[in-house]
Amino acid sequence: MLDFIIKRILQVILVVFLALTVVFFLVRLSGDPTTLFLPPDAPKEQIEEYRELLGFNRPLYVQYGEFMFNAIQGDFGESLRSGEDALGLVLQRMPATFQLAISALALSLLIAIPLGVFSAYKRNTIFDRLSVGITVIGQAIPNFWFGLILIYIFAAQLKILPSSGGGSIAHMVLPVATLALYSISRFVRFTRSAMLDVLNKDYIRTSKAAGAPTSSLIMKYALKNSLIPIITLVALDLGVLLGGAVITEAVFSWPGVGRLLHQSLMNRDFPIVLAGVFIIAIIYAVINFIADILYAYVNPQIRVK
Amino acid sequence: MLKKNIITSLLLLLVMLLAACTEGTNVDNQSSNSENEGSNGPLIIGFEADATTLMANHDVNYVTDTLLRNIYDPLIDRAGESGEFVPVLAESWENIDEKTWRIKLKEGIKFHNGADFNANSVKYSIDYILNEENGSFYRSRWANVDEVVVLSDYEVEIRTAVPFPSIIQRIAEDLLIVEPGYVEEVGIDKASKEPVGTGAYTFVDWSRDNYLKLKAFDGYWKGKPAIEEVEFKIIPEFSARMSAFMSGEIHLFKNIPVDSVSQFGEDEIGQVSSARINYLALSNLVEGPLKDVKVRQAINYAIDADEILETVLSGYGTRITGPLSQINIDYVATEDYGYDPDLAVKLLEEAGYKPEDITLTLDTPSGRYPMDSHVAQAIASQLQAIGIKVNVQVNEWGKHLEKIQKRETGDMFILGWGPAFDGQSTIENLFTLEAPYSSFYDEGIEAKIKATNQLFDQNERITGYAEIQQDLVDQAAWVPLWQQADLYAINSSLNFSPRVDEKINAFEMSWK
Repeated sequence: MLDFIIKRILQVILVVFLALTVVFFLVRLSGDPTTLFLPPDAPKEQIEEYRELLGFNRPLYVQYGEFMFNAIQGDFGESLRSGEDALGLVLQRMPATFQLAISALALSLLIAIPLGVFSAYKRNTIFDRLSVGITVIGQAIPNFWFGLILIYIFAAQLKILPSSGGGSIAHMVLPVATLALYSISRFVRFTRSAMLDVLNKDYIRTSKAAGAPTSSLIMKYALKNSLIPIITLVALDLGVLLGGAVITEAVFSWPGVGRLLHQSLMNRDFPIVLAGVFIIAIIYAVINFIADILYAYVNPQIRVK
Repeated sequence: MLKKNIITSLLLLLVMLLAACTEGTNVDNQSSNSENEGSNGPLIIGFEADATTLMANHDVNYVTDTLLRNIYDPLIDRAGESGEFVPVLAESWENIDEKTWRIKLKEGIKFHNGADFNANSVKYSIDYILNEENGSFYRSRWANVDEVVVLSDYEVEIRTAVPFPSIIQRIAEDLLIVEPGYVEEVGIDKASKEPVGTGAYTFVDWSRDNYLKLKAFDGYWKGKPAIEEVEFKIIPEFSARMSAFMSGEIHLFKNIPVDSVSQFGEDEIGQVSSARINYLALSNLVEGPLKDVKVRQAINYAIDADEILETVLSGYGTRITGPLSQINIDYVATEDYGYDPDLAVKLLEEAGYKPEDITLTLDTPSGRYPMDSHVAQAIASQLQAIGIKVNVQVNEWGKHLEKIQKRETGDMFILGWGPAFDGQSTIENLFTLEAPYSSFYDEGIEAKIKATNQLFDQNERITGYAEIQQDLVDQAAWVPLWQQADLYAINSSLNFSPRVDEKINAFEMSWK
């Protein structure tokens, strides 16, 4: 087990390092940021002077080396625009994103798992077909569109919920519903098929023949086993959600990490972008790491492999 | 059994996390209350982006500047309707010699923290820009300033390295006055988050990319503002701003897209001709047919800007016919090329081209100016009507700007310039070899621009710029399009007149 954990930790470090490297060169490809910061009437010497001040006139590999050297020590530099600590700015936004992600995930699980189990149990009934139909639609609807429709109905027309911003539970309802729609659809479909898989297994048939009551059959024997693959799915979704749901955050003006990164990318505020990628890569890798360990814990076969 | 417990605890943990996330996070639910309109409620302004810092004189950015002008005062401002200079914290200013400006300051004005406004605060604010360590992006514009000398408590002198006739414009557009004692005491970091100025509103709370809350300053030197509480609510998406406006969550926002105007009531729309001009640049610096003046003239004749303004922009905009708009103090009337496709073809033939042989590239941003990429398509189709083939290249804004600055655009590009209130700051940045923003260059015209910029006599300057404008039109240096129309959605219970400089000063507003 210890070997396994050490190996996975090394992998996490590698993933974060590679993510930072790729993003570093990608953002540099988008061009020189000095032109966007200075007033358009800035003379050429001034532009050069700022490029030197910000270090953009040096060879790319030198900039990369310096960036990595500082990043290892947790220093991602300062925002090019405001001069504030880049990592600090990203961390400030994490609670808002965390709030949205966890709520959306919790809501999805609470709705999707019972629905998926029931669909599988009542396979090929009207209920099952309806739930499959709705989840297909749920996965197909683009979430910015769904978000705008929710805003139109609940904020602009009915005026019962705020259309945007953050700060209260009322502000959370619409963005959480928007984010949850997609996850619910995925989870329902996944739970249903995992459940169907298990329900056809011999041991279920045997227990059934042995006279086990339906409720314990489903809850105790079937659900528990069918939940194992869902751990991976949940981990992946949580990673995505914690990375900041860029579009949903923009539609609802939610002050989270996704919006900060999007804005910083448009402004070419590289230190913030890289600090954000660092945090997201770590979260993503760590969540998957936890999922792997859980997985190995629940299913000893994996450890053996 | 153990596994069952794990799953149960996981679910329990999830529920607890959810509860932890929602409980106690109710910082302020006030902004969700749609019933706060009326004579005493807070004014909520929907704004497209947030300030990057609340430190004045740092970030050259319309958004930052507009928010800050509610907290800090300038020495000199522009009048909201005409764009003329009006004194604010300055009492008067005079030009001692070519390199010396003396500014007299108003007395008895206090900062939000009770400190006195005086010559020292002016010196400190300008020195902030000039000090390299502060990394202010305004420094490039102020590089010609040598030093600021405090003559007495209420008199300062600005000495420049070279004659700097446009310094008053710089003071009006860039400079806001900060409180030296406060910045020194708390440091720049904190002053960038909790600003202190002499402005009409004092700082209350700032949640980045969420809101900025301000409160009326009781001791404001012009008298207490009519509206007690102001909140700038940051909503980047237009459709979300519109929904928020319709639900009464916000009372005011800027930049209604022209194709959405019909969704608002007539009494909810405020309109003003902005000092920002949009134009089609014709580059004679890239190799191609546009090096020939006749081809540039032909393109002017082949484009019907009136029709594009009417159809693509639904008439929201004011046509310009030369390098400057009528709001510009140095404007002179120049003749419009008009729309004459036959003449255009004739001119092309005179220049030795068949229209069918010409292929041009047109660069445009998307979403930077009203309907910009649609305007580009319309221009392309009008040119195609006489046979010229046009490839429209749509760029992300940062990329577009960079292409222009590095002169990597195609033959033509769409750009806006503003605020364009005076001849120098417009013409100098557009038509000299140093400045790339029109990509048109003529040695003779540049010599005239440089000579005129050095003049201090107002009449001589006006004559100089008049001649330059005429030359630029004769040379068909670009295709002038229009002044943008700034469209605001205004709650019917709010008094607000849009300004030509696009600033949003809550002090100038009141409830009906």
